[in-house]
Amino acid sequence: MGIKSYARARAIHAMLVYTGGCNGCDIEIVNAVFSPKYDAEQYKIFLTWNPREADVLIVTGPVTKQNKKPLKEIYKAIPEPKLVIAAGACALMGGVYKNIHGDIPSEEIAGPVEEIIPVDAKIPGCAVRPEDVLARAVSALPKLLEAK
Amino acid sequence: MDKNVIETEITMGTVHSAAIEPYRVRLFVEDEIVKDAEITVGVNHRGVERIMEGLPVEKANSLTEKICGICSGVHLWNSVLVAEKGLEVEIPERASYIRIIVAELERIHSHLLYLAHGNEVLGHETFSMRLFYIRETVMELLRMIGGNRVQYGVPIIGGIRPRAELDEMKVQKIREGIDYIRGKVKEFADRFTSDTMIMSRITGVCPLSRKDALRLAVTGPTLRATGVEFDTRKEMECYDPFEFDVITQDDGDVKSNLFVRVFEVFESAKIIKQALKNLPEGAVVDRSWEMQDTDITKSYVEAPRGTLYHSYALEDGRVRNVVIRTPSIANIGAMQYALIGHHITDAQLGIVQCDPCFACTDRAIEIIKRR
Repeated sequence: MGIKSYARARAIHAMLVYTGGCNGCDIEIVNAVFSPKYDAEQYKIFLTWNPREADVLIVTGPVTKQNKKPLKEIYKAIPEPKLVIAAGACALMGGVYKNIHGDIPSEEIAGPVEEIIPVDAKIPGCAVRPEDVLARAVSALPKLLEAK
Repeated sequence: MDKNVIETEITMGTVHSAAIEPYRVRLFVEDEIVKDAEITVGVNHRGVERIMEGLPVEKANSLTEKICGICSGVHLWNSVLVAEKGLEVEIPERASYIRIIVAELERIHSHLLYLAHGNEVLGHETFSMRLFYIRETVMELLRMIGGNRVQYGVPIIGGIRPRAELDEMKVQKIREGIDYIRGKVKEFADRFTSDTMIMSRITGVCPLSRKDALRLAVTGPTLRATGVEFDTRKEMECYDPFEFDVITQDDGDVKSNLFVRVFEVFESAKIIKQALKNLPEGAVVDRSWEMQDTDITKSYVEAPRGTLYHSYALEDGRVRNVVIRTPSIANIGAMQYALIGHHITDAQLGIVQCDPCFACTDRAIEIIKRR
């Protein structure tokens, strides 16, 4: 284990990007997982809002067309090695906004996330359950730590 | 103009570390005093009204729940009310009571989220985390009732989902949960108000005058914080059996906004207590209604953030001419006006005090020029 992965194993910073979902997944992730009840910090996962500090990018929402460019730029700004977790039904397959429509389909959705940036782990659910977020995030971490 | 005064423009967004949701704020600053502010939305416009057009009414109703992840239940409730008004469906009384219990639980969790987020912006993370912990109780109650923490989907046309029926054990759990929340929020309010540092930080910061609030058509707790006694719940028939007060404060500043929400948590707890005490017996859903074509029907509901409006017409069981007006879109004006004339460090607080929810806000709007 190099010095970088040694340090990283003790403080993993996750950044959340909201790309136009309904707010449900974001609030579940920010306010449930990082709040005292589920408490991701006990697994040494911390929340940050700075892409240059982040190791893990959590993306929620179906990625609206206006959000496509900022998402790519945020992805570029995160230093290597990095991990992308797509959280929620919208991030995985566009959710109800892309797949359900009456007469006219929605023209606003550029997603799902996979088509824009590479995704390493997926969390299903509408909205995601905090237990799932923790389990998936922790199980995806070895990939990050083994990278040189 | 004085040459020594430096005029700058500070732009935040659309993705910014200080704001969880994507929106764009432009602050025009002179000597650290905000002279003008501009908030732009439109980044997370998904066009829910457009994709609802032509869907069967049941499907369209469940789609409205996906407009917002905080007040999802109220959106669904209002959309169902539109259909029920149009089709003249009478719902069982027990269903109406359970709908109100869910709506008030949602108001409690939304207000606790607001208080916690406000404390986070104030820099008081301990209070913020404690409030998030209290909020988890409500989320667990909602999961127990509807089966999901965020999209619980209780109302359907004709009543409520049979899954959300309350038995004796669930009633007891809700009662215990409400007692716990009421006690904890009271303790929080006592500690919060006795902290002189916090009180001096929030008193008189970013006030919105009553005149401006009425001119900008601000709704909900943000309007009540300026002293206007207006609550859509008082005009709704289903709230008639319940006794509760409309909370108002005078100043319209951050302090008033926080206090209105704290007191509203107690009022919601009062309504839930009354509903659980007088819960009528009987069926929870009446499926004997028949589909027919209707004209455009309107419905107003008090969402946690203010008056929510839905309207649509029915044609062959399909939804036409959908219009949704969320309370947050009216409150954007309040956010912009509250910032003007105040210090730049108060700007984030001034935006947060109006309880922004930009997932709700991104509606298609048509601006009509008046002569």
